Amino acid sequence: MELPIRATGLAKVYRSRFGKRRIAALDGVDLSVEPGQVFGLLGPNGAGKTTTVKILLGLTRPTAGSASLFGRSVSDPESRRRVGYLPEGHRFPGYLTARQTLSIFGRMSGMDTAAIRRRAPELLERVRLSDWADVRVKKFSKGMTQRLGLAAALVHDPDVLLLDEPTDGVDPVGRREIRDLLQEQAARGKAILLNSHLLSEIERTCDRVAVLRSGKVVAQGRIDELTASKSRYRLVATGVDDALLSAFRETGASVERVNGHFDLTARDVDHLNALVDRLRAAGAKLEELAPLRSSLEDVFVGLVGEGEPAPADSGAAGGKETVS
Amino acid sequence: MRAMAASVQEVFREAAARWTLIAYFALSSLFILVFAAAVNLDVVDGALAGARIFGKPLEAGGESVSIDKIVLGFESGFSGFLFLVGTFLALFATAHLVPRLQEKGTIDLYLSRPVGRVPLLLSRYAGGLLLAAANLVYLIGTMWLLIVWKTRVLHPRFLLSGAVILFTIAVLMAFAFLVGVVTSSTGVSLMTTYAIFFFSAILVAHGKISAAVSTETAARIVDGLYWILPKTAELGAATVALVAGRDMPADFSNVTPLAVFGSTALFGAASLGLASWLFSRKDF
Repeated sequence: MELPIRATGLAKVYRSRFGKRRIAALDGVDLSVEPGQVFGLLGPNGAGKTTTVKILLGLTRPTAGSASLFGRSVSDPESRRRVGYLPEGHRFPGYLTARQTLSIFGRMSGMDTAAIRRRAPELLERVRLSDWADVRVKKFSKGMTQRLGLAAALVHDPDVLLLDEPTDGVDPVGRREIRDLLQEQAARGKAILLNSHLLSEIERTCDRVAVLRSGKVVAQGRIDELTASKSRYRLVATGVDDALLSAFRETGASVERVNGHFDLTARDVDHLNALVDRLRAAGAKLEELAPLRSSLEDVFVGLVGEGEPAPADSGAAGGKETVS
Repeated sequence: MRAMAASVQEVFREAAARWTLIAYFALSSLFILVFAAAVNLDVVDGALAGARIFGKPLEAGGESVSIDKIVLGFESGFSGFLFLVGTFLALFATAHLVPRLQEKGTIDLYLSRPVGRVPLLLSRYAGGLLLAAANLVYLIGTMWLLIVWKTRVLHPRFLLSGAVILFTIAVLMAFAFLVGVVTSSTGVSLMTTYAIFFFSAILVAHGKISAAVSTETAARIVDGLYWILPKTAELGAATVALVAGRDMPADFSNVTPLAVFGSTALFGAASLGLASWLFSRKDF
């Protein structure tokens, strides 16, 4: 089966007006999104997120590499028949009403008038714009415009959604509704590529993420993989004395007592098991052992900030191990 | 096809919403009303017994003048006036079509649909041309009907002037689209297109200009430009001549109508072709 979204070795170099300056916006980006997956694209400003999305839509041509939607090259306009796109800072013609907006963009996606007439009311209802269906877009607030944008992206029931900052300007209730809507679409097998600065949104919505820095993917994987620390654990046990802690340290483990539990760093799983054996042999009772997780923000800052793992988070290193 | 139809409809809806369409037709209506109110002809047995324009009687030297001649003279003069005003109005009403399309946040919405870039651009062009044609039909058709009503004289050739005017608009609009694609500026599109209109009209005297310039290279450039640019002066004269049923004026007799229309059409086709090529290669 052809993947909904596939990009291989994407590179984009922008040249200044007279060709003297070259700016590499993308440098060998590989990514793929499967049906039913919500994929987040993260990165600081200028990392290449929007350029990636624009290449996927044929708005910008890659300098090198290739991209396809359901196996069709993105240079073919037909590749966009099954795509819904919500650009950042979109500007619908202010003279159109919400209903007319859906009609125009539905027709541009090949829908017939009867199908649009059926689909528009249910979509407007879904994004809570039913009462505004016949009001001109220029009267809309930013949040309403954003919700209309989402409806316009969904009007032809696409199989791929490319969303650039979909919750921008939307209130918390609206954000939750958009999140629910995206989850609903993913549950129906739609592939979703989400580009956002809001890490908490990404963390709540996405299954997989790719972190871009200076046009390169510096980490890619499932969020739990990226945030999991493979070498750090939270240990809760009774009967642990200083002698046992010293014995742990002699094996090369690092262990610190923190607020009634221990932060334990082991080399690998075998080392961890050996430490557990030792703990039980010493008569201590193990109550809890769990890998320490970092927040996505910690991982993100660690990856795009100094280029090193965040101080409180060796998990970023774990994230780096998943780079593909 | 649905997408193209939607794009053409969008041109009309945009023109209506932005008052362009209303202003365009309102100005045309104003011409018609002024004409209807100002011209009063007294026709007796197919001859003009008296005429008043803006309430003032026209002198005919005490002789009765053939109404047919009067109408023909008016229609040919008016078609020359329409050539200038109609072309300018049409360009003014459509020059924004490409720059607005290319605005950030707008172009993404259109190009993310399964529509090729060239068809999208050409549908905007077709929409603009249909808008101009609708106005010309309204303006020329109503004027013609008014003339028929007031004089009972039928000169269908007057209607043909619309075809030459529309041809000129089509060519100049293609150039405005080219400038719009390159600069994304409505102002620059308008200014350069009007400049081309006047500059090419000056080049009708290319023979005299070539003779006056100091170097042979400059003379060749002037002659070259004459053949490259649209022949607006000749087209204006052709409009009048067509309505009047005359040959082209002696000044233009060194060029055939085929050369005038052919080279102008070539300029328009090249402009539109280049605009399409650039638009299809542009990064947004």
